[in-house]
Amino acid sequence: MNVRRHPFAASVSLLVLLFLWLPLIVVAVNSFNQQTIMAGWGGFTTHWYGLALHDQNVRTGLETTLYIAVASALLSLAIAVSGALWWRRASPKARAVYDGLIYARIILPEVVSATALFFLFLKIHFTLGLTAIVIGHTVWNSAYAAIIVQARMAGLDPALEEAAADLGATPWRTFRRVTFAALLPAIIAAGLLAFTFSFDDVVTSVFLQGASNTPLPVVILGMIRFRITPEINAIGLLVMLFTVTLMSIAVLIYATAGSLGRSGRRGNMLDIYRGR
Amino acid sequence: MDRDQGGVAIERVAAPPPAAPRRRRIDTGRFARLALLAPTLAITLVCFIVPLGLIALYSFGSVNQVDFNVYFGWTTGNYRAFTSSLYLNTLARSVILSVSTTLACAVIGFTFAYFISRQSPRAQRLLLVAVIVPFWTSFIVRTYSWVDLLQNLGPIDRFARALGMNGHIDILYTQWSIGIGILYSYLPLMILPIYVSLERIDPALFDAAEDLGATPWRQFRRVVLPMAVPGLIAGIIIVGVPALGEYVIPEILGGGKTLMAGNILADQFLQTGNYPFGSALAVSIMAVLMVLLFTLRRAQPAADPQ
Repeated sequence: MNVRRHPFAASVSLLVLLFLWLPLIVVAVNSFNQQTIMAGWGGFTTHWYGLALHDQNVRTGLETTLYIAVASALLSLAIAVSGALWWRRASPKARAVYDGLIYARIILPEVVSATALFFLFLKIHFTLGLTAIVIGHTVWNSAYAAIIVQARMAGLDPALEEAAADLGATPWRTFRRVTFAALLPAIIAAGLLAFTFSFDDVVTSVFLQGASNTPLPVVILGMIRFRITPEINAIGLLVMLFTVTLMSIAVLIYATAGSLGRSGRRGNMLDIYRGR
Repeated sequence: MDRDQGGVAIERVAAPPPAAPRRRRIDTGRFARLALLAPTLAITLVCFIVPLGLIALYSFGSVNQVDFNVYFGWTTGNYRAFTSSLYLNTLARSVILSVSTTLACAVIGFTFAYFISRQSPRAQRLLLVAVIVPFWTSFIVRTYSWVDLLQNLGPIDRFARALGMNGHIDILYTQWSIGIGILYSYLPLMILPIYVSLERIDPALFDAAEDLGATPWRQFRRVVLPMAVPGLIAGIIIVGVPALGEYVIPEILGGGKTLMAGNILADQFLQTGNYPFGSALAVSIMAVLMVLLFTLRRAQPAADPQ
């Protein structure tokens, strides 16, 4: 590594890496720590994993979260893909409005959009619960999904579809075999991303859960508030491994997808972070 | 930013002019396009714009103390209530915390992103993974782990005492622990956009600057910094705005004692039921957001060397 030329940046970077990874290491270590106050090492145990896996709240929380995350990811994909198809033929002005609203859904503090939705549901007497949470997650999840699908769509050369049509493919067949096939890596990646974000969400779920079963992250928040136990570290490590695996798959699929006609640019998950 | 404007223009030119016999087809095409937009419209209008409009409306209403219904009186009382000392401290703390953590994020994030961008492609990928992986792990568990780390007798406290500090660090459940939590959670969001803009710098620019006799400091100031501005602005927006409304981090690392605007807002809706006041808070957060976006967007094209 090119450290010697930038000694200051290098030492800051080392500290940043330590800063970013320290909490994860602490969670991993304490999940096997016998000592309950976690102020030091008290010996190795898998006791907390046993407790976590047999905790009924955690188990129903996990089921609830999985249901919400799958539903929200599917809904977000439907919105993102149809939106990207529209976006392709839209005028620059309409595109700007569309992009602006995607951006707004992502950066508005979640507590604001969640309270606003909570209030709307209250006013129209829409029962809070799983459906409400799914809708709430989809508000921002569909925006993330839209960015990923759209980035791939922008690189798709219309000549490919025209060629398919010239060769006698019906519009549906052209869509299925060319457009959809080209978008598939982005669709899978966006779906996994949306699933993970929903799986991890606290704020929107807190506001919209009503009397339904509590999703896992909210269960964990409750545990943190009322009784701090090493059980949380065990659940935490398991959840972390799960989400990291999903996100890694998403990135691998997206990054290894072939390039498309016009742009020749390969997919890059950093598209999400490109400034507008 | 690097949107393919050329391609758009070509498509528009190549599209056949709307000749009379084809009008019917074009109309069905328009209908189909509207159908494609419908799902996006539904979620954006019904679940985003309408609710926000609703709270904007209610922020001028008032709660009847007898029947607890909300009445519209076009009062600005909810906004004036911010100045009561009960909330002023919290609001000031929110602004100070989000501004200072955003600045800290920008400085640290820039240094780190710059360091990454100067490495070999392989090392760059490795470092990016090292930044992104923690960001993918459970937000709530990551935040919680700072309770373990920062508590008295925890690892950092022990380390500080080993270095010769007297007493304890006493930073858990203060604004310091909230600040650390926000910095921790949002730092990757700052690093990534800055890296994306630095990565685009052509190394030939450095050679050119050096050949023309620019000192390393001048190269940094005249080449690196201007190229980093778009990423820096994107990062400041992505970090600063959500940080202002942060709810979970103060819940966990503020220990229910030290709060931010997001917590007061949440309490108005979930506990006290003072919807007009909560709405006024939400609207104010949105207003700050819009001012920030407007200012930064104006700053961007001037600095963008295009």
